[in-house]
Amino acid sequence: MLNNKFITAGLSVALASALFVTGCSASNTSTASNSSAPSMGQYNGKKDALDGGMTYKRENGMYTAYHINEQSTDKVNNGRVPTANELKAWDTDIMPDGTGLPEGSGSVEQGDELYEEQCAACHGDFGAGGTGYPVLSGGTLESLKNQRTCPGNDAPKRTIGSYWPQASTLIWYIRDAMPYAHPKSLTDDELYALTAYLLAVNNIKIDGEVMDDEYVLNREKFLKIKMPNRNGFVPDIDGPKGVENVRAFFADRKNYGAVGTRCMTDCPEEKVMRIGNEITNVVPPYSQLKDLPEKKTGGAISEAQELYEANCALCHKTDTMGAPAVGDHETWSAVMVKGMDAVNKNAINGTGGMPAKGGNMDLTDAQIHDIVDYMVTNSK
Amino acid sequence: MKLKAKMKKDIAKVKVMFKSPMAGPEEAEKKKIKPEFIAHIIGKVGGKTVYEVSTSGFISKNPLFKFQFKGAKKGDMLEMTVTDNNGKVTSESKKIK
Repeated sequence: MLNNKFITAGLSVALASALFVTGCSASNTSTASNSSAPSMGQYNGKKDALDGGMTYKRENGMYTAYHINEQSTDKVNNGRVPTANELKAWDTDIMPDGTGLPEGSGSVEQGDELYEEQCAACHGDFGAGGTGYPVLSGGTLESLKNQRTCPGNDAPKRTIGSYWPQASTLIWYIRDAMPYAHPKSLTDDELYALTAYLLAVNNIKIDGEVMDDEYVLNREKFLKIKMPNRNGFVPDIDGPKGVENVRAFFADRKNYGAVGTRCMTDCPEEKVMRIGNEITNVVPPYSQLKDLPEKKTGGAISEAQELYEANCALCHKTDTMGAPAVGDHETWSAVMVKGMDAVNKNAINGTGGMPAKGGNMDLTDAQIHDIVDYMVTNSK
Repeated sequence: MKLKAKMKKDIAKVKVMFKSPMAGPEEAEKKKIKPEFIAHIIGKVGGKTVYEVSTSGFISKNPLFKFQFKGAKKGDMLEMTVTDNNGKVTSESKKIK
């Protein structure tokens, strides 16, 4: 049970005193609440309002949930109205209704190739996810309602197929933010291809049609996509009734987990959980040392090798990421056909799935040369 | 089943993802479902076995397998056949790219 006094403890003095006033007249709440100044918040006596919720008086007998700042706005610089061009450059989102959606087309198969090249290193094969990077496929709609505490249930897994209500967000996000190392580098056709592939691995059907390798996605077909979780969100915020829906939703506290009734007077004591067996003493005591581990001097580790381990090894240690593995003589001799200068240039500017300087722009060109040297020497 | 096979020089590299809850008896009891897991996987190119494995509930749900083999060429058909513990057989073929 929530006790209102506990919640307001951290609010400002002004709010707290306003509460105190209404607290005194709690026995006749219906009439006593409108006497304070408009700028002072009043406790909303409605039974189902949010705990700690305030209403503020506006003009003409209207009330609002927000405090109105009545300070003078003289000398406040509010900027200027943006020009049509500025607005156009900013307003580039792709909306579910097709606003901003480019023309183009791409097949699942093309998307597969692109994905392998530019996405799979982080997002895993078939969108299965990588360490620390978002999972793009799998999961079920039903699992979204499962509590994580029940061992027999699958954990809710939010992916494109199980969670996203609109496909427009997908193509928009890919266009603006992916691939991570060099965003905005994909053409419109490539966008459609990648989107098609990601929808296909999520087993999404467009207009009843299964997306196989040859399926070509274009603008017209894109607008027919209905994502599985389209109607999974409450309240429904779309359309002219959106605001009303939200209001109605939040008016009922039960909708967001409120249980029981609120207590204002003579409340039972809150039950506080305490740690039963607190660890107060550890033998031997925790180390208080804050030194860095001792640096190994001597030995065969060169600076280039250290830099390689820190910046390049993640992808180049094995060939699972598609990068030439250090030690793989054949692959490297194929790479070295281009000549050392070209390889150095690729390492500095990035190539294919490889980000410029391996993603660490703090490295100098000379350091990159050393690292490449190290990698080539160790692959001979 | 999602299947993908690609030639890299003379090596065919295969990635395949199966759909199965991979619930052995213990897990199935917890989840209150019937035990269902992939028990046997076999991959063939032109009638010749290139990959074969016996599995059980210890593998993760919707497992992803990767393997590679020599001796195939572009355009060959790779056929993966999966048998689950209840005897259900699923099979899919794909051209090696």
